[in-house]
Amino acid sequence: MNNGMNSFEPKIVGFLCNWCSYAGADKAGVAQTPYPSNVNIIKVMCSGRVDPQFVLKAFASGADGVLILACHPGDCHYKEGNYKALQRYKILSRLLKQFDIAEQRLRFDYVSAGEGEKFVEAITSIVDNVKSLGPLSIKGGNNIWEQQH
Amino acid sequence: MKTGVYFCNCGSIISDKIDPEKVKEKLKDASYIKSFGLMCSDEGKQFLEVDIKAERPDRIVIAACSPRDHQLTFMNAIEAAGMNPYLMQMVNIREQIAWVVEDKARAVDKTASYIQGAIKRVNLQKPLNIKEIDAEISVLIIGAGPAGLKAASAIAEAGRKVILVDKSPAIGGKPVLYEKIFPNMECGPCMLEPILDDVLFGRYADNIETLTISEVTEVTGYYGNFTVKIKQSPRYVNLKTCIGCGECVEPCPQKAIAVPFTGAMPNSVSIDDSACLRFKGKECSLCKEACPIPDVIDYDDKELIHERRVGAIIIAIGAGLYDCSRFPNLGFGLLKDVYTADQFERLLSSTGPTEGTLETSDGGEPESISIIHCVGSLDNNHNGYCSEVCCQYAFKFNQMIKEKLPQAKIYHIYKELVLTGKDGFILYDKAKVSSDTKFIRYKDIKDINIIDQDAKILISIEGIDVKIKSDMAVLCPSIVPVEESKQIGKMLDTTLDRFGFFEELHGRCDSAQSKIKGVYLAGTCQSPMDIAACMNQGMAAASYILSGIVEGKKLEIEPITAVIDKERCSGCKVCQLVCPYKAIAFDEKDGISIVNELLCHGCGTCAAACPIGVIEVNHFTTEEIFAEIEGLLA
Ligand code: FES
Repeated sequence: MNNGMNSFEPKIVGFLCNWCSYAGADKAGVAQTPYPSNVNIIKVMCSGRVDPQFVLKAFASGADGVLILACHPGDCHYKEGNYKALQRYKILSRLLKQFDIAEQRLRFDYVSAGEGEKFVEAITSIVDNVKSLGPLSIKGGNNIWEQQH
Repeated sequence: MKTGVYFCNCGSIISDKIDPEKVKEKLKDASYIKSFGLMCSDEGKQFLEVDIKAERPDRIVIAACSPRDHQLTFMNAIEAAGMNPYLMQMVNIREQIAWVVEDKARAVDKTASYIQGAIKRVNLQKPLNIKEIDAEISVLIIGAGPAGLKAASAIAEAGRKVILVDKSPAIGGKPVLYEKIFPNMECGPCMLEPILDDVLFGRYADNIETLTISEVTEVTGYYGNFTVKIKQSPRYVNLKTCIGCGECVEPCPQKAIAVPFTGAMPNSVSIDDSACLRFKGKECSLCKEACPIPDVIDYDDKELIHERRVGAIIIAIGAGLYDCSRFPNLGFGLLKDVYTADQFERLLSSTGPTEGTLETSDGGEPESISIIHCVGSLDNNHNGYCSEVCCQYAFKFNQMIKEKLPQAKIYHIYKELVLTGKDGFILYDKAKVSSDTKFIRYKDIKDINIIDQDAKILISIEGIDVKIKSDMAVLCPSIVPVEESKQIGKMLDTTLDRFGFFEELHGRCDSAQSKIKGVYLAGTCQSPMDIAACMNQGMAAASYILSGIVEGKKLEIEPITAVIDKERCSGCKVCQLVCPYKAIAFDEKDGISIVNELLCHGCGTCAAACPIGVIEVNHFTTEEIFAEIEGLLA
């Protein structure tokens, strides 16, 4: 795997809440400083919408990593969706081990609308982490999804 | 399914980085893909409209800038073309790709994945419609201080019914007790008189139902359709016929009947039933006998519960003062001549206990008075904010003391001086010219020590070599939320901030709006502020309501809400627990949970929490998101 590692370009899915994190990503865009292109973003209204199933589905569909970005504590547009998201993330990261998915492949962070730089940091760090872990291969094939049901 | 893709070149900002022709080659599922120079321009919208009419696609993907920029622009254009605007999915290829992906080939690949994801998703999207509901135009205002009064008179003038509720027997809030008000030293009751008159007797007073000695006990419903219950305690005095002459006050052996304070409005007495002998089972009707007007006093007055329907609610319950007994080093409650600002305010008042004569507890004329600023404010061990008004009233006190006792020495012992705005400097400027006025700055309230010495008080400050002998000390405590904030917050589901003030929707843009639709905030219950700001915020809250709820116009309800599958819901109620808006109710009959789409904000946390996955969020369904994931990763 070591040889292939440098050229390995992971696929990562990012779930961003509409109000802060997505706006933070826009801010990073407006700054026009290039950052790794590996994270494909899906907008949800609130990080509280991120059903653990979404994360599993992403891994099952070939993602090497998943990123969840939320408003800072106290700033959620819907009062407390980000706390719910955090709790779910914590439980989920424990669960991932059972599927042999390294915890570092799932990352949760807070990014505000003003934090373009923090957004880039979050992207860069998950991309680096997942690169060093290499491509995800799931025990029993990529069908954890089917195993779930 | 015919899915059309429109690619905006954004002038050439996008197309310089991402070649639309190359993207085309990679797209499998698009029925067609067309690019245009600047889609958000008038020509662009025109192009979109004409092209949609010609192509008649079932679904549309627009690859352009951030949806935060132009989603609504395009939704409107699509609607103009006769298509449901929710059958479109936007793809952000400017902020997320063109501007940040250096390698052109990668930019094309990423764009293709994004569009692929959007196509898969949009094909599952359903047409959604904005719902319209009737709205009640009356307004409930809780608290009749400056903020509540200003809002009440504005809303009444607009021809709306206002229910103005205050827990005390008089309206006007705190300033009616202040003999002078900063910065121009006008009298408090006089300043408020015109607005009090407006509310009680003015041209539009008929539109205002003022309920004193009352509190809101229950609120149900939602923006446009609240039902509120108000408990009005008995006054035992007919407000309509009492002329406030006060003949009844003298004869009462218990001081149970009184006007709340001189000049109180409504100008009427009330009986305190916890003090009145009749309510202790004794025979007494001295007040009734003394009253010159028949039937004003009514011992049989009962508690009333009023039920009203309103479209919006303003919380304007004011604030209180920080408890100074938390500072034993300042001697409050221990030393007789240490006062809080509001106690001192009473001492200065001609209707106060000394009728405005400034004297020490043993009746002497004070030679020196110390004013301790910032008590509890600007202090993370107490309240980590500036209370905004203390500097101003401290210098108001300075001037009032000087008027009464020109020889007195005054010490301002302060942490910071905050003198903002065009009027903020006036009183300080006057105070500082006198050689009898001294300023001493301290670092931490803990450093101050106030003790008794030779019938005077002695103030020392650790780290500073001064000892001040004074006859009186006045503490300027932080402005803090009142206890009721918690209970009212709970009742209306409005959140409190880390200090306990009502939390605004946005600190700069929407400070008069709470996070709950239809519930507005005015005055010091939201943040410490002066009277001018309270009035402005009252007016702001009124205008939110007047522009949001218009007679004859329906309220529009966004279709992005949660929906529970009735057939499959097991009735576990987990969704109810996680909903931040109490938008989910339980139907006892069928044993299932149901979403009230008027209360639902569409955050989707219930859908994520449902253990059996029977909750969907319109426009963000699990199926749609799964499809997007698959498309993005393909
Ligand atoms: S809206 Fe951003 S986390 Fe809830």
